[in-house]
Amino acid sequence: MSRITSYFKSLLLIEMFKGMGLTLRYMFKPKYTMRFPMEHIPKSNRFRGLHALRRYANGEERCIACKLCEAVCPALAITIDSAPRESDGQRRTTRYDIDLFKCIYCGFCEESCPVDSIVETSIHEYHFEQRGENVVTKQQLLAIGDRYEQDIAADRAQDAAYR
Amino acid sequence: MSAQEIRNYTMNFGPQHPAAHGVLRLVLEMDGETVVKADPHIGLLHRATEKLAESKPFNQSIGYMDRLDYVSMMCNEHGYVRAIENLLGIEAPIRAQYIRTMFDEITRILNHLMWIGSNALDLGAMAVFLYAFREREELMDCYEAVSGARMHATYYRPGGVYRDLPSKMPQYNESRWHKGADLKRLNQWREGSMLDFLDAFTDDFPSKVDEYENLLTNNRIWKQRTVDIGIISPEKAQAWGMTGPMLRGSGIEWDLRKKQPYAAYADMDFDIPVGVHGDCYDRYLVRVEEMRQSNRIIKQCVKWLRENPGPVMLSNFKVSPPSREAMKNDMEALIHHFKLFTEGYGVPAGETYAAVEAPKGEFGVYLISDGANKPFRLKVRAPSFVHLSSMDDIVAGHMLPDVVAMIGTYDVVFGEVDR
Amino acid sequence: MSETQTNSLAERLVARFGEVLSKVETVRGETTVEVAAGDLLQVATALRDEPEFDFSELIDICGVDYLGYGQNEWETTSVSGAGFSRGVRGEATGRFDWEGRPRNVEMERRFASVVHLLSIRHNKRLRIRTYCDDDALPLVPSLVALWPVANWFERESFDLYGIVYDGHPDLRRILTDYGFVGRPFRKDFPLIGNVEMRYDPDKKRVVYEPVTSVVPRVLVPRVIRDDVDLQQAKAEAADHWQEN
Repeated sequence: MSRITSYFKSLLLIEMFKGMGLTLRYMFKPKYTMRFPMEHIPKSNRFRGLHALRRYANGEERCIACKLCEAVCPALAITIDSAPRESDGQRRTTRYDIDLFKCIYCGFCEESCPVDSIVETSIHEYHFEQRGENVVTKQQLLAIGDRYEQDIAADRAQDAAYR
Repeated sequence: MSAQEIRNYTMNFGPQHPAAHGVLRLVLEMDGETVVKADPHIGLLHRATEKLAESKPFNQSIGYMDRLDYVSMMCNEHGYVRAIENLLGIEAPIRAQYIRTMFDEITRILNHLMWIGSNALDLGAMAVFLYAFREREELMDCYEAVSGARMHATYYRPGGVYRDLPSKMPQYNESRWHKGADLKRLNQWREGSMLDFLDAFTDDFPSKVDEYENLLTNNRIWKQRTVDIGIISPEKAQAWGMTGPMLRGSGIEWDLRKKQPYAAYADMDFDIPVGVHGDCYDRYLVRVEEMRQSNRIIKQCVKWLRENPGPVMLSNFKVSPPSREAMKNDMEALIHHFKLFTEGYGVPAGETYAAVEAPKGEFGVYLISDGANKPFRLKVRAPSFVHLSSMDDIVAGHMLPDVVAMIGTYDVVFGEVDR
Repeated sequence: MSETQTNSLAERLVARFGEVLSKVETVRGETTVEVAAGDLLQVATALRDEPEFDFSELIDICGVDYLGYGQNEWETTSVSGAGFSRGVRGEATGRFDWEGRPRNVEMERRFASVVHLLSIRHNKRLRIRTYCDDDALPLVPSLVALWPVANWFERESFDLYGIVYDGHPDLRRILTDYGFVGRPFRKDFPLIGNVEMRYDPDKKRVVYEPVTSVVPRVLVPRVIRDDVDLQQAKAEAADHWQEN
């Protein structure tokens, strides 16, 4: 009996029509995709994207050149040089380079930073046009931090209880 | 009519072939359309992860484990982290164990979805790929919500996991195309915490698996391409060191989650599906059923995690960093913080082999420590590598299109074959 | 079956093989035996075929280079002004380039081949270590005849460590580039490699040159401390945080 039914099922292409029916139904359902770049999918406040260096509210840079991030970076993407600052003798970085081609976005630099200076922002759309632009310098990092400080602070505040 | 000489010829398959799943170069010796000998050339993606790990402290290599089998990220981390924990003699808190169990199963679904999609695509079915990626998207949102990265999470740590699960799931923003009721529909699952989201997902997911099955299981083209293709007998499967779905497809009930339970698997209620014939179709059925079982496990974990808050990281400053607040207010905590992020921790001398049931099979980490803060030798036992090595034996005598079906059913990922 | 066997795996191994095993130990539930290269095939055959052991699956074969085992790059016995710099010199992985690699190293029992077995019937694992007698030509018998899966593992170990598996049917390199020179996972091989590849627009082909684009850079020294005491740290953490 079952052989006969399966013979007729096979002859009538039942399973094919079922499959096609499924795909046909999806043609009338709302689309799952988003119209990137006009709109975005949800992004977590923990997202690890482009790096930034932050400042305190009074405009002083946070980084104290402790080099923890340099030591903890698995990809050796961070290079730091430091010297006493000329104006007040404080220990500061003279060079803070991140090679974004080496970076693996693991977030260890942010985890290690004792003064919340280096952070991974939620920016994920960026690109380079020239060879060598992949190495972002201290000035660029500080500029990113200045520009997005509000978002960075809001994301960190949301996650403060977990860290 | 004059006699003609017929010779075998060799053919190069890959390394840039879309069905080669990455960078597999397969040198096939063909007799007409039949494969006589297959010689896989691997190593085009070799990055010496194991040697790199020897040059950095233990924790810094966690992120590189994600990049081995890059479709089952957290399972790889789990294997590595377990090896370190074995040697240190520590155990993660119970909540961390449940989180790990849950994310291992999320990872298994992610991997099997990728597999079902790409394997169907290789064998000529487009739609499954698109639908599978839709569900992958939801789960990768969970990855992102918990760790901050959609794939390479770096989330498991020796002694637990980095952070607890977030109490809020990120939501869609209003836009010209999605507003009002439409936006509400999109955010329907995302009103509450991540666990609420996963709960809604697990309720919905079995119906999605039904859809894939609707498209494939009885489909005559799918069956013609997979039934009785690449039959592996149980004896052969063991001789070739197969594990995971490859071994279970041949009818051997072997699953590390049951036989050598780790994390919270001992408390989980789930079944091990096994195949009968050991052909590509049976392995397909096994993997589909595994998705349903993983869904069950996730559901149990969600329930437990809701009811049992607690620490997710060991409170031991030689291994786990102090909280940021403590670090900023307390000198001793700051010293520990600095020590941990520069030097790391020393792992007692010894050796261990820690294995987890990764979606592809047994993912093992053999770790030798000489007491230093860096591994002395790290060997990753990658299931794909083992399975692929049996290629010549299994594929000989099959037709050329069956080689594609076989590569698909091996579920190889070159990140871990080449390491 | 394993339920009926009261003896541990290690005891049964000693009872069966006796003197052939130069070392048997069980640490953290993992049993390790050491076998001389000459006895490996005989032991492995027995382990696979005898129902008492029934190690039907070979899980892993891996080469190990014990050069520099226990090497400490940063010894500090007292606190000093210079004691807290990470800028130390050493010879551990990643510290040297091709020119500065350690040469003429001599060490007893430098290479080993480690085999992991799994018995599905008894749910047991076993580790077999075989040291190579000769450093210049590390030689271990091949297990391909017993478990075909050994094929690629042995090729890998040969490729990365130069351990030669006697009786292997097809001992070629597997992971490294076609025409690669050297044994990259040996401890005296630089982490940055020996040659790098680039496209030469003049010659219109890919050329290999000595590595110049990366320099050896290790930021954290390899440190071995004899005071690794996790229990103490745990106690410290516990009583400290209840106060605050």
